[in-house]
Amino acid sequence: MTGLKRNFSRITPWSVAKWAAALCIAFVMVFPIWWMFNVVFADPGVPASLNPRLYPTSLSAGIENIKQVLSETGFLRAYYISVAYTVLTIAGVLLIGSMAAFEFALFRFPGARILFALVMLSLMVPTAATLIPTYLVVAKLGWLNTMQGLVVPGLASAFGLFMLTQFMKSIPQEMLEAARLDGATHFQLYWFIALPLSKTALVTLAILTFMKTWGNFIWPLVISQKPELFTVSQVVSLFNAPLSHTTVDVVMTANLLAAIPPLVFFLIFQRQIVEGIASSGTKG
Amino acid sequence: MKRPVRPGPREGWPTSSRVDEMQKTFWNYLMLAPFMILFGAFFLYPILSGFRYSFYDWDTVREPVFVGLKNYETVLGSRNSRIAAGNLAAYVAITVPLGVSVAFGLALLVDHFAGFWGRFFRSVYFVPVVMPLFLAATIWRWLYAPNFGMFNLLAGWLGAGNIRFLNDPDVMLYSMVAVDVWVSAGFNMVILLAGLKNIPRHYYEAARLDGATKLQEIVYVTLPMIKPVMIFVISYSFISALQVFDLPWLLTGSSFLDYGGRQKALLFPVMDMMGRGFGSLSFGLASAYGFVLTFVIVLLTAAIFVLQKRDART
Repeated sequence: MTGLKRNFSRITPWSVAKWAAALCIAFVMVFPIWWMFNVVFADPGVPASLNPRLYPTSLSAGIENIKQVLSETGFLRAYYISVAYTVLTIAGVLLIGSMAAFEFALFRFPGARILFALVMLSLMVPTAATLIPTYLVVAKLGWLNTMQGLVVPGLASAFGLFMLTQFMKSIPQEMLEAARLDGATHFQLYWFIALPLSKTALVTLAILTFMKTWGNFIWPLVISQKPELFTVSQVVSLFNAPLSHTTVDVVMTANLLAAIPPLVFFLIFQRQIVEGIASSGTKG
Repeated sequence: MKRPVRPGPREGWPTSSRVDEMQKTFWNYLMLAPFMILFGAFFLYPILSGFRYSFYDWDTVREPVFVGLKNYETVLGSRNSRIAAGNLAAYVAITVPLGVSVAFGLALLVDHFAGFWGRFFRSVYFVPVVMPLFLAATIWRWLYAPNFGMFNLLAGWLGAGNIRFLNDPDVMLYSMVAVDVWVSAGFNMVILLAGLKNIPRHYYEAARLDGATKLQEIVYVTLPMIKPVMIFVISYSFISALQVFDLPWLLTGSSFLDYGGRQKALLFPVMDMMGRGFGSLSFGLASAYGFVLTFVIVLLTAAIFVLQKRDART
């Protein structure tokens, strides 16, 4: 009884306003995504004025849409390309970045400070400046419309190096020393000590790289201009082009399929994603 | 044998022979090599060669022709780049203050929920950030569609006429800012929220004992305490706003033949640069454009940094 009473006394105008605002904003934030979902699962042929797509109306129509997009457009291939592009980029960024970070964080050798400063300086240079010259280098290598053209130029991630170096600095030298006395080689120190101890940082970097690569629009746009190497973002973008007569349900089906990996990732790794981004602001 | 960076108390720097020393650093460089080679090949070299090309007229097919500063003159003098710069100024002036204020509002709101609901609202507000920008742009493009788009249906029910969100030069910029705020609010909120959580609770208690109102608490406790985080969020939003590309590209024609929309109302510098490079194949000109952009962005970033330093001293 007293508990109930206390609950009632907590309802003040302020808390009502607070909840109303929070729920309204939540609605605004989720609505466009919810709408996309409803367009895919809508009874076909019913005009928007009669069914404004505020809720899903037909499961079978949605499944039909998905089947159609996967079989009749180049979407399935684009999906493979995007997955390969993302997975290879994550693997490369983590491996190459952690190897370099291991050296910068734990050893001192001639040139280390200058090289590190040079890489950090590159964080200041906007992507806009490097985009066209990097494209020209890729073109010169004959890597246009190839997977290595998509992946390789993005592997030396200055942000990743910074993050991993900061993290590895906390690895105690005593541990390396002990392993070395046991006869570990330089590479073994990296592989069996530094890498396992940096698991949290590696996971965060992997997730952030995933989000960035899956959503990357401008780089695939210039590198893969042939349909054989289109990524998901390009197929979606083509649907938007003025002369494409793609209907809204096809576009939204492609959108929905492209949204699934990041949404699933977010559901699983919420904490790491949010904390990874939060710490980039408060520590940096 | 390799030695640690920070030698233990009993052990000084190695007095080993030169050969030993060389063998030691060889491994350091070997592990570093993949990163540094890629960094050199796909960052340093492109920047330097791009700088050279910015003085040439080049379409990647014919031999480059040296033209001196002509590319830079074209970039600074052409009508399109002036339109793009004007659009950018208007866009940055609206989207940065609005976006950061909304994010701050959201952070304050979420901060007032404890436990599960705090985490719940934080996650829900963050969902748009998770969506790739190209998806967000495509969804909104259809929500904005004339006649049967969701927003025009809504306008119809409210008795307003058909609004051409993406086709009326007076409205287009605001339509884009709305998408932008929707996408970025959650991102900035998460960073600000982390800053809010770091403010010791007894500061608020002290303010409350002194009879401060909620508003006074925000102005005199929250804002000063959160200032470094706030500056980070503002500079980050500012720098990314200067490079806006995906959103206006996808909200307008989304092809190198058609971009920027009606009366070029959504033409922005990076788009203009891309169009000159890949649309009209003037790569020398596009490189020059890139360097002008970089110069402006680095200058503005430095200005923010200096202002902030001066502010911190007073």
